[in-house]
Amino acid sequence: MWRLNAVRHKAGRQGSDLEEFKFKRREHEKELRRARKDSQLVSKRLLLNDDEEEDGTMDTLASDQVVELFNIVRHGRDLVKKEADLRALRKALRSPSAHLILIKQPNSIAILVTNLCGPNPQCRLEAARCLHELSHSPHSEVDSLRLRQATPYLITFLSGQSPKFTELCLYTLGNMCPDSENVRDMLLAQGIIPALNNCIQIHRTNLAVVEAVGFTLSQLISANYVTERIIPAVLASGLIPRLLSVLTPDSQFGLGPVIECAWCLHYLACSNVDNGALVAQGTLLHCTSLLVTLGVAVAKGSIEEGIELLIWPLLRCVGNLLLSGPLGALQPQLNDSRLLAALCAFPQAFLQTHPALARESVWVLNNLTAAADSSVFCSALFYLNLVPALIQLLPFSHGINIMVLRVLGNIAHQGREYCLHLAQAGLLPALCATLKMADTEVVTFSLEVLGQLMASDPQLAEEFVKQSGLPVLEAIQYSNQETIRLRATHLLEHHLLPHCPVDTSASQ
Amino acid sequence: MLQPGLIQLLTASDLADLRIDAIPKLQVGFRPGSFFSSFRSQDGEAKLTFIPQQILLNKDHELFEDGDIHRHLYLQNLSTCPAHDSPTARQCEFRCYISGCSQVFSTVEDYEHHYNTLHRHVCSSCQRSLPSARLLDIHIQEWHDSLFSILAERQDMYQCLVEGCGSKFRTREQRKDHVIKIHKYPSDFMFDKVKRIKNIKIAKNNMLQKGTSMEVSMSVSEPEGVCEVLSDQPEEEEYMEINHSLEPGILDPASNPINTVELSTDHDTAPILSVTIQPTTNQQRPQHNRERHSYRVPRTVCFGQGSVQGFRGHGRRI
Repeated sequence: MWRLNAVRHKAGRQGSDLEEFKFKRREHEKELRRARKDSQLVSKRLLLNDDEEEDGTMDTLASDQVVELFNIVRHGRDLVKKEADLRALRKALRSPSAHLILIKQPNSIAILVTNLCGPNPQCRLEAARCLHELSHSPHSEVDSLRLRQATPYLITFLSGQSPKFTELCLYTLGNMCPDSENVRDMLLAQGIIPALNNCIQIHRTNLAVVEAVGFTLSQLISANYVTERIIPAVLASGLIPRLLSVLTPDSQFGLGPVIECAWCLHYLACSNVDNGALVAQGTLLHCTSLLVTLGVAVAKGSIEEGIELLIWPLLRCVGNLLLSGPLGALQPQLNDSRLLAALCAFPQAFLQTHPALARESVWVLNNLTAAADSSVFCSALFYLNLVPALIQLLPFSHGINIMVLRVLGNIAHQGREYCLHLAQAGLLPALCATLKMADTEVVTFSLEVLGQLMASDPQLAEEFVKQSGLPVLEAIQYSNQETIRLRATHLLEHHLLPHCPVDTSASQ
Repeated sequence: MLQPGLIQLLTASDLADLRIDAIPKLQVGFRPGSFFSSFRSQDGEAKLTFIPQQILLNKDHELFEDGDIHRHLYLQNLSTCPAHDSPTARQCEFRCYISGCSQVFSTVEDYEHHYNTLHRHVCSSCQRSLPSARLLDIHIQEWHDSLFSILAERQDMYQCLVEGCGSKFRTREQRKDHVIKIHKYPSDFMFDKVKRIKNIKIAKNNMLQKGTSMEVSMSVSEPEGVCEVLSDQPEEEEYMEINHSLEPGILDPASNPINTVELSTDHDTAPILSVTIQPTTNQQRPQHNRERHSYRVPRTVCFGQGSVQGFRGHGRRI
């Protein structure tokens, strides 16, 4: 079971340890980013056993010692002793070099599988642990194909009753999922999805197992090329309601399971295979409801560590599901106006720590305000006085201000009343500032929004001039970017100059 | 961090009022005839093109990158307290749009100061930037109006520089005396010296020598007419005799990492009011008259460059 506490403990080490840790983390982060660019972003998880420290001493055995251990296991007949033998082997496998040695032994996997299905529960457990270590191997030779003899059994055991054992099987399977399309096809054929469904049902009160199911499912559906068979199978399986039940706001489950289930829902929604089905099963309702709860928590200041790991997938899921149908049809699931408040609260709360999350939050607002029947949401933003909070995000880059400008542009497009309200909320002076920014895209969007405002009512053009906006537009006319030059000229000619004389002595 | 209004909204206990369908809807639509005129340019492109659009993002979209990385760091047990290493939100920079200027600033105030100093009240004939519209008028009148010198032979044409004074004088020297005696300007105030616009290279070297913090894209100003920026440049060249060869990359913002513009404060007696910006070309040199009204409107992309403030005295050029 993943606990952020465990990691925090690690990070709490003083001095150079911490620096080194941070350095490693930065390097690792760079690797992850590279991997993502190649669509190769994959992670595996290793369950640690109770009798091990996280960074306990690993005695790296010599290769003949490993072989020896394995031979003892292979030839041993005494079941009681066998458990100890397997345990010794499992401990040896903590060291990755032992993996290569083991798989070179003839029938090594078969022997492990035999023990996996053997009569002795403890032996099963130890055998499963051995396979789990192998599934997490850094060596490419120890790939899932090699372990494929084990998968039918692992899948079968998912319907078993023993939580610890089930958890092991789940993580082992979860580690195997991302390896290749062949492996996934095989797992699909062997019935992994119904098994997962069964498992989460049986063990629904056990948070460790629920988290493991979530993880394994997320590994299965976040891989490449899964939209044709795997995702439809998941959608049809009855897993969705079970995932949603984990998302209950005051879940006693703690963050781990909810996080995994939320990421599953995100992967399902962004694949856009059948988002209508997702919505019909209540996904939008549950996700928005949880977002509101998280918004309330954020407002109260009780931001749990790691909460952004939950907010992120929920935002993405909601954002994408908003396109699943006309907004009017979705409105019953979006009826809590506190959702809008939460979507404005997240950027404020996370701007400095996770600006990308702030941006995604505003993206959801864009999807709420850009549809044909978004007027009710746009009106709500004014009614709840949320627009100033958005305007305050305009100084920030990372794509945040562009997304905010989109939202403001969406609102302005609704009509004259909306434009007047935007001006009342202080948009014009804010645009005078964004028009001076270095980013051409920001200036372009600002000109668009400004244009819409001025086109809706001449009084707004006058107001803009009062805000000393004219010289700003005139300055833009000398930019070397044609897009903004032309827009600025257009605004001056069509909306500003006809309304008021170009007063060059205004600066006096 | 959160605004009180938001907090109140989210922690309100009365949920009945918070239903979306209970919120009054503002009227949609525009007044007839007030819609956007989608202006078409010669190539038929619409000028203003924003349309509200819902955006679908698939799992590999770049917008999702940071969140994915965060998740995988968590999966791999590498999450730490996020505050240490994550990217923080950056405030946007501001850029001066005057073509060729391209300077970037980190705050609006810096940008506005830059713009007001260098690009306002610029004489389009000689690219000098004056501190105020009035001084610009006086400059244009005295330097670019051929009628002026004819009239000045017969009447008092040289206005006092101090606003509100209204006195006029027959010669520059008389004005200068007036300004010193009556308005208590220092006698070594930069009157009537012909400013020379240095070659950028020399200017840059001098600047570096003097240790001024002026942007390299601006020439160091030499003592010139009234209201010139001072950085004591010893030699003065003839106005407009220098061939201003542009140093490559001089106006490339990337090569000018300095974000703020500071005026030299070397000279402590004369007010610092004007700035000379090195012109990039020799184009705006003509001495012939221009229509009055065109002075304020820059003619070419050289607007704002070579802005020199102040007056050029007769002295040197005679």
